[in-house]
Amino acid sequence: MAKPVVEKRYKLSEQVYLWELIKGMGLTWKHFIFNVKASFRPEPHTIPTCWQYPEDRRPIAPNFRGAHMLMLDEEGREKCVGCGMCAKICPANCITVENAKVPEGEEAKYAGKTYSKTFTIDWLRCIFCGFCEEVCPKGAMMLGPEYELARYTPEECLADKSMLLANFHKAKQEGKLRPPREPVPVVGAAAKPGEEKPAASADEKAVTSAAKPKVAVKAKPKAAE
Amino acid sequence: MINHDDYVKINIGPSHPAMHGTLRVVAYTDGETVVSADPEIGYLHRGVEKLGEHLSYHQFIPITDRLNYCSAICNNVSYEMAVEKLLGVSAPEKAQLVRVIMMELARIADHQVCVGILGVDLGAFTPFFYLIIQREEIYEIFEHYNGARLTNTFGRIGGVEADLPKDFEQRWKKLKEGIARANEETDKLLTHNRIWMDRTIGVTTFSAEDALAWGFTGPCLRACGVKRDLRKDEPYSVYDRFDFEVPVGKYGDVFDRYMVRMREMEESVKIIDQAFKLYKDMPADAPLMAKVPKTIKPPAGEVYSAIESPNGELGFFIKSDGSDKPYRIKIRPPCYMVYQAFPEMVKGEMIADLIACLSSLNVIAGELDR
Amino acid sequence: MNDLIIALIKVVFIWVWVLLIAVVMTWVERRGAAMIQDRPGPNRAGPFGLLQPLADGIKLFTKEDIIPAKAKKLLFILGPILFSLPAFSAYAVVPFGDKIVLGGKEIILQVADVNIGFLYIVALGSMAVYGIVVGGWASNNKYSILGGLRATAQLISYEVPWGLALLAIVLVYGTFSLREIALAQQGTFLGILPNWGVFKQPLGFILFIVAAYAEANRVPFDLPEAESEIVSGYHTEYGSMRLGVYLFGEYVNLCTLSALIVTFFFGAWHLPYINMASFLGPISYGIASFLVFFLKVSFFLWLFVWVRWTVPRFRYDQVMGLGWKALIPLGLLNLFLTALAIQLTA
Repeated sequence: MAKPVVEKRYKLSEQVYLWELIKGMGLTWKHFIFNVKASFRPEPHTIPTCWQYPEDRRPIAPNFRGAHMLMLDEEGREKCVGCGMCAKICPANCITVENAKVPEGEEAKYAGKTYSKTFTIDWLRCIFCGFCEEVCPKGAMMLGPEYELARYTPEECLADKSMLLANFHKAKQEGKLRPPREPVPVVGAAAKPGEEKPAASADEKAVTSAAKPKVAVKAKPKAAE
Repeated sequence: MINHDDYVKINIGPSHPAMHGTLRVVAYTDGETVVSADPEIGYLHRGVEKLGEHLSYHQFIPITDRLNYCSAICNNVSYEMAVEKLLGVSAPEKAQLVRVIMMELARIADHQVCVGILGVDLGAFTPFFYLIIQREEIYEIFEHYNGARLTNTFGRIGGVEADLPKDFEQRWKKLKEGIARANEETDKLLTHNRIWMDRTIGVTTFSAEDALAWGFTGPCLRACGVKRDLRKDEPYSVYDRFDFEVPVGKYGDVFDRYMVRMREMEESVKIIDQAFKLYKDMPADAPLMAKVPKTIKPPAGEVYSAIESPNGELGFFIKSDGSDKPYRIKIRPPCYMVYQAFPEMVKGEMIADLIACLSSLNVIAGELDR
Repeated sequence: MNDLIIALIKVVFIWVWVLLIAVVMTWVERRGAAMIQDRPGPNRAGPFGLLQPLADGIKLFTKEDIIPAKAKKLLFILGPILFSLPAFSAYAVVPFGDKIVLGGKEIILQVADVNIGFLYIVALGSMAVYGIVVGGWASNNKYSILGGLRATAQLISYEVPWGLALLAIVLVYGTFSLREIALAQQGTFLGILPNWGVFKQPLGFILFIVAAYAEANRVPFDLPEAESEIVSGYHTEYGSMRLGVYLFGEYVNLCTLSALIVTFFFGAWHLPYINMASFLGPISYGIASFLVFFLKVSFFLWLFVWVRWTVPRFRYDQVMGLGWKALIPLGLLNLFLTALAIQLTA
């Protein structure tokens, strides 16, 4: 285990410590002056890289994966049909759905023939991967812009249906609702519904797969071969 | 074998300001000189490989985020490519380009963190902030891509789940300048500073033969003077189309590892530029996803696929028994091999060098312990 | 009797003033570091976060005072006191202004004009290490003892170049009294330069300031408390106000060292080319000399902060190497050259 011996060859400017030190101090001084000037700008958010958190919030990306929302359609009906696809795909196993037939006289509240009687997401388990949103055939689930999810007790972290709906209403009020994620174009224009990735719901697929040019896909050699 | 009673036992970690994550080193010292240092691992063991056996192929993607959390995207892509190889499909060209762009961004972010933390551990706090501000911009791009910053869950088996954000070009232009500036400033503050040079040059040197014998990969191997980069030597994805250099060091000391990482960031910027140029030439609605069945049931068999992650060769071995869940997943993390040699590297050096060595190896507990 | 009261007032005044500077320094350090590092720093407590030191003080005072079970109790308590006392006491001989005439009585702005003030300072400088070593040893913690050991070796090594640089100053001015050294720096040197120590002793100044950084345990010589290596070094086990006293003592130390640098090398209260005494009244001259002195001190205080956030930390053996292989030979050379120059010009 002979360790290589390094020949140290320093230039004179490196040898004397002070020269490079002064150069470095020039650099830090530049930053200092810039930031001191910046800090006299009107509050908040004086220094460009820092956000004064509770008052001054970073604008999050439109497709941010935050707290879940249960979506309503334009007529205010719940989109969720309680199929349980999201519960099945969830890697963290944090979604519990119980579905039931829509009771008589409440058809105006639900878009489908069935609905989710209970819908619970355990935010203590959730890893916010967004698979539930991707897999949902009705577009009933969406990860919203809310990211302040700290609670005092574990019970409060169990998001039930009312909380998920409240999230939706809040996001809608604040105008933070985004259009659903667009499914990406898939190789082979004639993809039949159902054969595709779970990302797209059936009706949207027809639109995206219609105008799809044939692009030769070169198979790339894999690394370990 | 040393007589441990003759020396002072110093327990560094698992909670110590300089231990990245939850590493622990039991060091025996003679004054300030380290006589032996035994790393103890497993404080962050979450049973990732076993978890994989209970999850479907898709569900394992978010789990791979939690390996090397500094560059989650590389883990994701590595795993996806392994499954694609098992399935015998290949992601479309445009998806490959998106992957390359995102992976190189992740590589820059990882190296920035590593270099920044190395500075912090050697007492230079300021470059860390200059670098981390640029990493923030990279995370902004990630966030605009699919909504997550750290644990991206990037890509799907057979492609990627979204196109690059529309404002990518504009952001990348700004980011490129930022990265160049941050690197230049770090260079100014550290590289030629005598204190920094004394602290890093010739510290924990490692010869190329030893490095190969211990199974080093990535920047740590290249710092020893071995020009091996999977992107060049065994090009996967579309890396064979890009023109970039593989920076190598000479002595495998802390300084060389630092320089290799600094240079690699510049090369990554070049790769992203070229990849983005190719990407722009693609039609807007070119496919981003190969045709893969909804439920992935690969044929029985086994596969190993590796990519050059920021830390080195990150490989996934997957054995399938034909069901919808992998029979066995084995992850080859680059840190593990590098960390094995840690006792050899720091023997006879000083306590301060032990810290410097550990930072420059960029051992990430999430990847090490899995 | 009257003299005693005046002396008492001076003691209390300078004590409070130094404490105030140390308090403000905690703010300057944090805020300055933040500005250098592109972040705002503490800006919540009061305007520009100026009340942050107060908040810190309240926090430290109200925290539980823990003495580790296996610590040596008496020494553990003694550690911070031993550390901060010499730092405060050194101010006794530092002239912080020229003189002020109040009610027909001339008062010199110095607590005690001791004719061996010089030796007093050197003696107290060596005392400061006891606080660190005692604290480190009493904590019964391996990190602490390592910090304490590092401090011992480092402070003793750097005492030598420090002393050598000071000796050259003594040769130049021919006196041990700080006041006389300060007074001797008026006027011009070689016709164009201000008559400051730094121009007569440029090498001595560099030696002195490097040694001062080492004495104050500041980056790049902050080995006794190297955070990433030995957690917090000698004050790892300290909490609440005992820790506060350590941190505070460090800033008082900085203040003392800056005052010494100004006194020896930067003309104390003299402005270059301007003789303030010639056009200012007796009271305003006293105040002006005091302000000028502390303006210079504040620059060096800022320099301590500025350097800290620019450079990395030395390694233990490199610190020793720099001290013994570079600074001490240079110090001796400087002493020799100074003696030679004085001999030739005399």
